[in-house]
Amino acid sequence: MTQDRIIYGIFFLVITAIGFAVENHYYLQLLTIIGINTLLALGLNMLMGYAGQISLGHAAFYGIGAYTTAILTVHYNINPWMSLPCALFLAVLVAVIVGLPTLKLTGYYLGMGTLGFGMIVHILFREWSSLTGGASGFVGIPPLEIGPISFFPARNYFYLVWFTVLISFVFCKRLIKSRMGRALRAIHDSENAAKAVGINTRNMKLEIFVFSAALSALSGFFYAHMVSFISPESFSFLVSVKIVTMVVIGGMASIWGSLLGASLLTMLPEWLHSFSDFEMVVYGLILMLVMIITPQGLTRGILDIYERSRTTKNKP
Amino acid sequence: MSDREQQKINHNPLLKIESVSKTFGGVQALRNISFDLHSGLIQGLIGPNGAGKTTLFNLITGIYKPDDGRIIFDNQHIQGRQVHELVRIGIARTFQNVEIFGSMNVIENVMVGRHVRSKCGFWGAVTRVPWMVREEKNTFDNAMEILSFVGIEELAYRKSSELPFGWQRLLEIARALASNPKLLLLDEPAAGLNATETRQLGHLLKKICATGITLLLVEHDMSLTMEICDRIVVLDQGKKLAEGTPKEVQSDAAVMAAYLGVEG
Repeated sequence: MTQDRIIYGIFFLVITAIGFAVENHYYLQLLTIIGINTLLALGLNMLMGYAGQISLGHAAFYGIGAYTTAILTVHYNINPWMSLPCALFLAVLVAVIVGLPTLKLTGYYLGMGTLGFGMIVHILFREWSSLTGGASGFVGIPPLEIGPISFFPARNYFYLVWFTVLISFVFCKRLIKSRMGRALRAIHDSENAAKAVGINTRNMKLEIFVFSAALSALSGFFYAHMVSFISPESFSFLVSVKIVTMVVIGGMASIWGSLLGASLLTMLPEWLHSFSDFEMVVYGLILMLVMIITPQGLTRGILDIYERSRTTKNKP
Repeated sequence: MSDREQQKINHNPLLKIESVSKTFGGVQALRNISFDLHSGLIQGLIGPNGAGKTTLFNLITGIYKPDDGRIIFDNQHIQGRQVHELVRIGIARTFQNVEIFGSMNVIENVMVGRHVRSKCGFWGAVTRVPWMVREEKNTFDNAMEILSFVGIEELAYRKSSELPFGWQRLLEIARALASNPKLLLLDEPAAGLNATETRQLGHLLKKICATGITLLLVEHDMSLTMEICDRIVVLDQGKKLAEGTPKEVQSDAAVMAAYLGVEG
């Protein structure tokens, strides 16, 4: 408990310090994107890492968040802070409708079910041109502001997103260390045994699916108001796979793993520009190496190296 | 039979199985089974392989629904009710192959067992309201108490998947007890245990029974069943073959025939 508080305190200071120190707008924006991706990975990690239910369609909820706020603010001139609850509500509603039948599936079948859902939503974004602007995208999404504070400057937006990440971390950690968190991990370990101790596995899986969808929609909301232009390709099947990769690379069932995974997968393409034509090859190779060296994900891998160095030091 | 036991049997039964039948495909797994489970006793369900013990077990715990007949627990009809609802009204179980939550430590396993007796949901967890903190502490204290009742409190912070099999079985019983059951069903609790562990298990089951929990054992290990059970029901090929005290059952000709293959 107190240990957690110290860690959050350090995290808070690091965010503040980075916000002060980084002057370059491009880097501030890149860091903000990492924050947005961290929210995405965190949402999926709650579902996949803790409850053990895979989703290959999470980009759909990300897109629902982004498109809802885009449509409401541009077409209907609604204040973005009013469109946020609408976006979250729509994502929750869709998650319940989709989750009820698909969460009965397990393993590969759940993967296939959510994959199909993600593709349908992607096609909707692309083809429903009158509402979404179709394949050419949606322009002119207004920036966020609270009274006199505008979040248009990159630094303000950076703070807004990262403090949201911090709060989400606190919430997710609390959730994991609660009765519900234990029930979710129980479902992951053995669904039969979870039922036998009286857990309503269907409702529990649905609840975490809905929460996960809401976090993704929140992430989509921040994304839309940051870049002011969205297109269906930002919410395609490949993006769903990228979110899964962030969770797996960073570390399943680890909150900080979401941060690590999101950072690595956002930064890597930036660092690899110098490889030009070979960018994707190097990218793939690095991911393969990470999985071979630390199959439990980066968080677990780093902890293992730390523990090993400690035990060898203690040996006479 | 002592007067005390006689009195318990005359009492309103905790679980009534009334002419229950179950078929799988063309196979009749259970044929018109009826018997009562009496409050506060240890009762055994035995029979050779394929007798229908597991099917009956799964009917009582809500995994299957009977084709015919009624199951009445604590004056409520329970056939066709969902597994988690049955835990809530007081039916807990353990598994033959031990199904613990391997990624958690011992105390967390028992705390999960408390699920139906606590109610903190999503909002309670993220806001950490005072009653939720209290409930969490109660859950923890209760789990600790149960661990010491079972005799494995010093293992509380060990990872459960790393425990030897015998302790995992005790942990599973502890987890089941955490739900405050009225009826505890144990699927072959002595399977995989050595003679000493089996004897200790027998003591523990008697201790559990003494707290007022009714036990039903599905067993292969005859020595344990004969030693600790107050009453035994024998199944064979989906039918009830005999019912009575261990002595009565042991001297029953039909039971001898089913077990030893003696004709007539």
